[in-house]
Amino acid sequence: MRSRFDEQLATLNQELTQMGAMCEEAIAAASKALTTGDGKLTDKVLSLDGEINRMERAIETLCLKLLLQQQPVARDLRQISAALKMITDMERIGTQAADIGEIIAFMDGRTGAECQQIRFMADAASQMVTESIDAFVKKDVILAGTAIGRDDVVDDLFLQVKSSLIKLIAEKPADGGYALDLLMIAKYFERIGDHAVNIAEWVAFSVTGEHKK
Amino acid sequence: MTQKIFRSIMAAAGAVLIASLVIIMGGLYRYFSSVQEKQLEDELSLAVIAVEKIGQEYLEDLQSDQYRFTWVSENGDVRYDTQSDEESMENHGDREEIRQAFQSREGKSLRYSSTLLEKTLYCARRLEDGSVLRISVRSVTIWVLVLGMMQPILIVIAAALVLSGILAGRISEHIMEPLNSLDLEKPLDNDTYEELAPLLKRINKQHRQIEMQLRELQRKNDEFAQITRGMTEGLVLLNEKNIILNINPAALKLFHTKESCIGEDFLTVERSLNVNRGIQEAFSKGHSEISMEREGKEYQLHINRIESNGSLIGAVVLAFDRTEAAFAERNRREFTANVSHELKTPLQSIMGSAELMESGLVKPEDMAHFVKRIRTETERLVTLIDDIIRLSQLDEGGDMLFENIDVYEAASEVTAGLADMAAARNIKITLTGETVWVKGVRRLLTEILFNLCDNAVKYNKDGGTVEVSVNRQGTEAVISVKDSGIGIPPEHQARIFERFYRVDKSRSKESGGTGLGLSIVKHAAEYLDGKIDLHSSPGEGTAVQVTLKISSPQAI
Repeated sequence: MRSRFDEQLATLNQELTQMGAMCEEAIAAASKALTTGDGKLTDKVLSLDGEINRMERAIETLCLKLLLQQQPVARDLRQISAALKMITDMERIGTQAADIGEIIAFMDGRTGAECQQIRFMADAASQMVTESIDAFVKKDVILAGTAIGRDDVVDDLFLQVKSSLIKLIAEKPADGGYALDLLMIAKYFERIGDHAVNIAEWVAFSVTGEHKK
Repeated sequence: MTQKIFRSIMAAAGAVLIASLVIIMGGLYRYFSSVQEKQLEDELSLAVIAVEKIGQEYLEDLQSDQYRFTWVSENGDVRYDTQSDEESMENHGDREEIRQAFQSREGKSLRYSSTLLEKTLYCARRLEDGSVLRISVRSVTIWVLVLGMMQPILIVIAAALVLSGILAGRISEHIMEPLNSLDLEKPLDNDTYEELAPLLKRINKQHRQIEMQLRELQRKNDEFAQITRGMTEGLVLLNEKNIILNINPAALKLFHTKESCIGEDFLTVERSLNVNRGIQEAFSKGHSEISMEREGKEYQLHINRIESNGSLIGAVVLAFDRTEAAFAERNRREFTANVSHELKTPLQSIMGSAELMESGLVKPEDMAHFVKRIRTETERLVTLIDDIIRLSQLDEGGDMLFENIDVYEAASEVTAGLADMAAARNIKITLTGETVWVKGVRRLLTEILFNLCDNAVKYNKDGGTVEVSVNRQGTEAVISVKDSGIGIPPEHQARIFERFYRVDKSRSKESGGTGLGLSIVKHAAEYLDGKIDLHSSPGEGTAVQVTLKISSPQAI
């Protein structure tokens, strides 16, 4: 009985890791598309988003099955409930990466110096996601803490992007639409950072049993 | 063990108890029975004498609870009985003991009561008058005795139970103690029951077998570890559940993980979609190849399914570093593109000139100019093809004649050959140094010297200098070519030895170089086991130093 349960828990871990890897890849593709304006990359982000959504459903079903059939307690229960929360955040990350991809496709390959700044944001955000997934894989609370701390970096970068975009609008009012697109992208990356923080917090919860908020 | 011993002890005790009971009871009972019989007979004899003398009065006066006397007349009627009223008693003529007494004076019989709890012993004797006197005594049967003995017997059995329990415990403890303290690591060193010797011998044999198998296993493990440790390729063994069974140091470095990852899911080490899809594909299809990039290096991963008896037992991941191969491939592609471009340019020029001449658009006085252009372009083409041939020869390797060459002499020939070209631009070439012998290929050495000096003149300022020196430093010959030319910017210095690489692409035609000179120098020096050092600063000039091994003194 227990060995079957252990097997199911291992599957849950595996699928969560895979879903995390998909999120990482989606963000990486989105941020690369931002600097290259490559249409193929945006398509990839969109298809990854679809896969992430399917994965969320699958993991959700598995979690509910485990909860109902095995009635886990203590650490197992924490792990499963944390997984249920984490997949919501991962799904949001996937959707936001897809939104970024859509905006980039809409921008028609236009890139500029402002994009570089957003690229830094994208790098920081994707590193946060990588760290939080790593923390999950290694059950490393310290790494989860590092990921949470990095959110400030992303927030600061967002403010910088915002002020430089304000300047851009003031200087070239005709580029207002472009500037707003970039602002949306920056905001999405900032949100991705927040979701990464959530994931890291749930990782810490599943290990220590304490959820900081 | 304890139970078994207990049971045997109990069985033995029970058997002994019952046997002795039967023997003693039986023996005693028989003895007492015979004593009783004897007493009965004596009593009867006395009674017979007395009755014959005194008659019925004797019997009437007799006070006995123990014995019962019955006097039966010759027709069987009871004359007198000491315990019952003779009137109510039936005819006794058919009783066995009386019948016997009628016939043979004496009669005896034993009768049990209906419950078997009592028995009555009868003795009868015929008197002189033909009547019979019978005496009888009642006594309990052996079963009553046994029943009466039941309490002490039960007590003895209980005592035997307790005693045998304690004894069994003690004995089994005593038997087991040496067994428990057996040193199974060294079975033959034990001092214990000799009955155990065959067992210990067998254990010893099995020990040796296990040890041998373990050593063999260890040796194979070590062998495997040694082989995989030495591999530059990364190797990971996975089981069917994607758990890492083995990982070699190269793979540890590649995937940035530690040896503690053995036994964990491969996903925890590498979760990129690309790699995991490759593994899944290998699991389902048997083989997959994927490429991945790590820290600027390119790796090719070959993943193969491992099967045993048709069932999947895992996968092996082999990672090759393809960085250099990819780099070489890129170089080759670039070289092909460059060569076709370099060959096409002069041909285009020749074709253009020829077309103009063919269509008669060229005035006769300009004809010489066009013919000259065709000639120079053709010359350029030939030099280029020469260079390419030389390079491909060097690439091929092949055996070339090694001989002892005087480097200084070779350098003086080269500088003399370039003197005219240098003089045309007012450049001064100087050669200093000493005679140094090296073992090498004359053509290659000349190639090195010529290309270096040629570059030094070509990329010089008008009125500049070229200083060539040949010196011996220890066991090495150092050729140095220093110019006062335009120099090479630092960002280009690393690449100038590549084929067709030019610092200033627009000047290539003007200087007449093919872009292959330094590439030839590099390859030639490599062929001669030499070393090239380049020092250059833009505007100040370039110094190239080629170091070659000198010939051993005996060879000179």
